[in-house]
Amino acid sequence: MSNALVPVRTDESHGELIQLVSFNLDREEYGVEVLKVREIIRMPVVTRVPNTPHFVEGVINLRGKVIPIISMRKKFGLMDCETDKQTRIIVMEVDGELKGFIVDAVSEVIRISSSEIQPSPAVVASGIDQDCIAGVINQAERLLVLLDLEKMFSHDEKNVFGS
Amino acid sequence: MPIDCEDQELLEGFLAETTELLEKLDDDLVALEKSSDDADLLNRIFRSIHTVKGASSFLGFDLLVKVTHKTEDVLNRLRKGELSVTPEFMDIILEATDLVKVLVNDIKAGEIQEREIDGTIAKLLPLLSDTPPGQPLPVEPPPAVSQPTPASPPKPQKPTVSPVPEPATPPPARQDPPAPAAVPQKTGGEIVAKKAVPPPKPAEGKGDDLSDNTTVRVDVKRLDDLMNQVGELVLERNRMIQINQDLQQGEAEKVDFNEEFGKLTKRMSFVTSELQMQVLKMRMLPVDKVFKKFPRIVRSMARDLGKEVELKIFGEETELDRSVVDEIGDPLIHLIRNAMDHGLETPDARLAAGKPRGGTLVLSAVHEGNQIIISIKDDGNGIDTERVGRKAVEKGLVSEEQLAAMSQRELFDLIFLPGFSTKDKASDLSGRGVGMDVVKTNIKKLNGLIEIKSEKGRGSEFILRLPLTLAIIQSLLVDVEGEVYSIPLSSVLESLRVDQRQFHLIGNREILKLRDMVLPLVRLESIFGVTRQNEKNDFCYVVVVGTAEKRMGLVVSRLVGQQEVAIKSLGKYLANIPGIAGSTILGDGRVALIIDPVGLVDGGDSR
Repeated sequence: MSNALVPVRTDESHGELIQLVSFNLDREEYGVEVLKVREIIRMPVVTRVPNTPHFVEGVINLRGKVIPIISMRKKFGLMDCETDKQTRIIVMEVDGELKGFIVDAVSEVIRISSSEIQPSPAVVASGIDQDCIAGVINQAERLLVLLDLEKMFSHDEKNVFGS
Repeated sequence: MPIDCEDQELLEGFLAETTELLEKLDDDLVALEKSSDDADLLNRIFRSIHTVKGASSFLGFDLLVKVTHKTEDVLNRLRKGELSVTPEFMDIILEATDLVKVLVNDIKAGEIQEREIDGTIAKLLPLLSDTPPGQPLPVEPPPAVSQPTPASPPKPQKPTVSPVPEPATPPPARQDPPAPAAVPQKTGGEIVAKKAVPPPKPAEGKGDDLSDNTTVRVDVKRLDDLMNQVGELVLERNRMIQINQDLQQGEAEKVDFNEEFGKLTKRMSFVTSELQMQVLKMRMLPVDKVFKKFPRIVRSMARDLGKEVELKIFGEETELDRSVVDEIGDPLIHLIRNAMDHGLETPDARLAAGKPRGGTLVLSAVHEGNQIIISIKDDGNGIDTERVGRKAVEKGLVSEEQLAAMSQRELFDLIFLPGFSTKDKASDLSGRGVGMDVVKTNIKKLNGLIEIKSEKGRGSEFILRLPLTLAIIQSLLVDVEGEVYSIPLSSVLESLRVDQRQFHLIGNREILKLRDMVLPLVRLESIFGVTRQNEKNDFCYVVVVGTAEKRMGLVVSRLVGQQEVAIKSLGKYLANIPGIAGSTILGDGRVALIIDPVGLVDGGDSR
């Protein structure tokens, strides 16, 4: 993955540069801040955990540490699909602990300037949680949805297992 | 006032040593009351106080010096035979040691509080004069007992400190644990009443002694053993690298490789399990750590209740994991309090019942396999199940019909219900119906079991079965329609292969008649929502689990085997899943979930 493909467009950029990891989910492209991403791994054997929300796929053993795995497709209410060679788990530190997120494919790391981020339009792709969309990045021929996963666990889900 | 001690190391050493001495001191003092002519014991007590005094004067803790100095003087007179041990005398000495503890705790907290110490010192002073102790003398300058400091009573406080002589509230640095706060002050008669400042209560502050163990003292020999083992592990690793290299370079024959690798695996597993044992051992503490505060508690309670009690302690050298030691203190205090208050009778009642005047309380600890068994046994009047049942109905905890159907064991279990108490009025000691609930909750938290044996008129025994450690557990791996789960072996009582046609249906609940027991069943596949893969089989396995005081059967498809597993937390996102206690990693790297039998049993009730 190289960021040379997307040269920094200094002419247009105002404000600080941020780096994003972009990934695909059902034909759309999304991005998360690179600093949040701990590592990207292939699909290991996932152990199902009973009595959890449907989007919690289970837990995996990440070098001796047990971390929860969340299916982004299920979370966003998209059609489930088979895992293939492209399927990856993005391990991120969200809400103070490591969690893994299943995505269709991880494409690259891109650099953009924060001024390129536009507020998300009122109506976005169906089913996607409005709250965790931090903005939309509109570059020449691509549209990237910037996600803030902290927000994903901000309200209801966080309390699912709360005592 | 913050402590300005130049040498932090010196201070830490002082604290560690003093804490140890004081813990021992309590024990010795209570023992002294029983055998007052034991010169060795007395000398030891004297030495401890003297050491504390010496060290604190060296470090400049003036308040501490004052108190220990007076105490030492009094003990010195005792040693010379000028005083004799009476309960009143002991009360005063114990109060003084309590004060010393409070002062030491202040130092530990890093902040010297201005304490009212004159009250206690004033009580010590009469003992230094020739008047017989116990007489409420007005405090006066004591006569010519060897005494370096001019002991004119309420001395002005040290000039450096803020002029607040009577801090009416205990300083914020100490969080008073709610439970021990119920332990009353010792009967000091009017002397206690005189004081405006709350004196240090006996159990206070001691409760947290255990939890602030931030450093560990390890036997050097254990450390050496550990080093040896690590050395062996390094050798085996080198061997492994060698074997791998040979294989990569194609030098090794397949047969050779197999053999070598097999040997290596065996040695590795041997070394790692040895290593594991060593590390576990280092985390072990003798249960004495908890037990040693009980003689004090029992003594002061006995005096409050007007009962005569002899506390016998066995097996205090039994070791268990730090995490467990920290947790069992509270439940044990409650059980002891319970036995003292409800179990043992007053001397008159005992004589009337044809028993010796003094009651006996036996506290014992013993290892049994992977568990430690702690028992608290009294020879009091036992549990009056009739009265217990009646009270439970009165309080609306159970209905008449439920009561009628209860077995002896279930009747005993009633006392664990929150809010249950046979007392009509709550007293300082008991009656709020909280204690036994605390016991149950804490023991459950530790994956332990409680068993009650009681005979009316003869006494009762509470038996706690606790795991030795909480980090690595023995577990039974079971297969539920293709998914592997792990059940802590400590709660598994037995497992059996049963024909499903033997199951009965009561209401919509499956049960199994096992010998003389009716066992409620829980199908793991249905509560965990496992998709059925195999055809329905007539035979299945039932794992009988027991938590605290309940039993139930878990229906699984297959038993996989017994394995020692390390517990891994599921993290806070997946914490509190009903029926799941945690997870572990199996030999093949997959994650298996650990079943929480406690949660299942409780959840099973509401289903």
